Amino acid sequence: MFELVPHIINGLTLGLLFALIALGFTLIVGVMEVINLAHGAMFALGAYFAMTTIGGGWFGGTEFGQWWLTLPIGTRYAIGVIVGPLMAAGAGMILELCLRPTYGKAPLYGLLLTFGAALVIEEIIRLSWGTGEQSLPVPQAINGAFFMGGLIFSKYKFFAAGFAIIAIFGVWAFLEKTPYGAIIKAGAHDSEMVRALGYDLSKLRLLVFGFGAALAGLAGTVMAPIWGLRPHIGIDVIIPAFLIIVVGGVGSFWGAVIAAVLVGLSVGITGAYAPAWSMLSMYLLLIAIVGFRARGLLGRKSALEN
Amino acid sequence: MPMITLSDIPARGGSPFTPAMGVFLLALSTAPFSLPAVGLYQYLGIEVAIWLIVALGFNLLFGYIGLHSFGHGAYLGIGAYAFGLFQQEIAVSLWGGLLAAISAATIAGGIVAAFISHRRGIYYALMTIAFGQIFWFCAIKLHGVTGGEDGLLGIPRPDFVLGPIRFSLADNTSLYWFSAVLLALVAIGLWRLVNAPFGRVLQAIRQNETRARFVGYDVWRIKWLTFTLSAAFAGLAGGLFSMAQESAYPDVMSLHQSGLIVMMILVGGGLVSFWGPVLGVILYFVARDVIGGITETWLLWFGLMFVIMVMSRPEGIAGLIHVARTRLGHAPAGRSAPKPTEV
Repeated sequence: MFELVPHIINGLTLGLLFALIALGFTLIVGVMEVINLAHGAMFALGAYFAMTTIGGGWFGGTEFGQWWLTLPIGTRYAIGVIVGPLMAAGAGMILELCLRPTYGKAPLYGLLLTFGAALVIEEIIRLSWGTGEQSLPVPQAINGAFFMGGLIFSKYKFFAAGFAIIAIFGVWAFLEKTPYGAIIKAGAHDSEMVRALGYDLSKLRLLVFGFGAALAGLAGTVMAPIWGLRPHIGIDVIIPAFLIIVVGGVGSFWGAVIAAVLVGLSVGITGAYAPAWSMLSMYLLLIAIVGFRARGLLGRKSALEN
Repeated sequence: MPMITLSDIPARGGSPFTPAMGVFLLALSTAPFSLPAVGLYQYLGIEVAIWLIVALGFNLLFGYIGLHSFGHGAYLGIGAYAFGLFQQEIAVSLWGGLLAAISAATIAGGIVAAFISHRRGIYYALMTIAFGQIFWFCAIKLHGVTGGEDGLLGIPRPDFVLGPIRFSLADNTSLYWFSAVLLALVAIGLWRLVNAPFGRVLQAIRQNETRARFVGYDVWRIKWLTFTLSAAFAGLAGGLFSMAQESAYPDVMSLHQSGLIVMMILVGGGLVSFWGPVLGVILYFVARDVIGGITETWLLWFGLMFVIMVMSRPEGIAGLIHVARTRLGHAPAGRSAPKPTEV
């Protein structure tokens, strides 16, 4: 049992980061009823932009670039963590504008459009950052390993997990405790009524899409030092996110968080016994749960079923 | 302009001898001469023929019954592996291999369909993704059977044997003729099927599943059958694929490839016409070779074209042709009955 502890901790970390990806996804599904297959591409964009910011790639060899590189990496990292999600949010808003003609049609069209957009963004990443595997530098203070109870743990994973917990509660507080959150939730529940009350629905959708994309970008920035950066990372993360939403129930906040932790744990614990097969466990989890509960753990009926 | 659907382009009974079918068969039989003439190569014809079998079979599921599967590459891959394993482990035989490919894909499709046929909409799509990923994952990880990421290599191209007739399929031209004949049979068979009462039932289920059930159709069984059928066609194509490539590998089973199949069908207009998938597959491969010859990033331009198409004309090329014909007044007379609303 004791040997399992590092695997459980790994799984929990993974689950919390999955939750961060899935939250943006579920927000967009809940409010707009759009399955955003480009969510993974937003994840990748956020991470790549953060990497360029930290490495000073924007300024090249100019004087400002020289000065930029003399800044401590901690500062540059902190700025990168802000810039990455902001750029992803911008890309998300552009995507929302492109999505407008598909509103009111079958959900299939939104899904297909975002699939195309994901392809395009992946190719753009290949063009601008190259096809090779890259890494995102991390400040010394949260890098490396530490020992506890005779086991080695990676400091960065703990940092990432803590960051994910803070972000999850931040999103929860935003949705539950602020008037903006109330409007967003109302928009998910009954968009006609929200419009009738005088709220600008198209602006709301734009902001929700931007917010969801920013969450994806944030997850990408935090996750990149663990997973590495490659152009097709978007496709690699969209599948777990997708799966988590379905297991948790479409549009449910805590459903997504619980499902993400479950998926992370199942991947982590399978990893202890059969590392090669660890990713398969989440598909089996999906089939097992959705086989018994058609709408996932905490799901409600949604328009996407038709 | 309101969206048109498959049911709005009237089919001319069940006779396969329509002008479109004539053009299709003519193009198929002249391809070995016309392809080199426009600077393309023979192998492209085989590839297009294989993907056309996949696309036409898949559109039964995607366009006609309206079930959105995003894991269809898996059945193509299963067919390819089954063909390869049959050649390597049992006997070098064309018909045996193709039969193995079709049966393996049919069985896999039948099992998956049994799990998912009571689902609708996005949950259906998600379950197909999950099952597709499981097959893909197994193909990568079962090194002993599938050869892992490298796949099965050195699959032979067995001779064509039918009674006293025997010829080699080793060169691309003869393999093209073989694939083209199979494709023609598939196209005629599917055309008959979708214009038979069975095809009408599929469209009824797409338009309103609940209502079709109330009328008395066993919707679950029809959904199961359609999925299994389209998996069987993918399996046949998979067998041809492993002959064409002389190998079978997990790449074709990935979500990316399954998404590309959906993309080809949508660009062509599989939602509005039987011939949509044909146009889409041809456009995809020609775009890959022509744009791909100019720039490495052809997928960027194809993706952009796709995005613009979904935004402006989601009915695809077939829809565009239909609109153009209506404007020019050449279209077959439209229906006077009120259109059923899609739910």
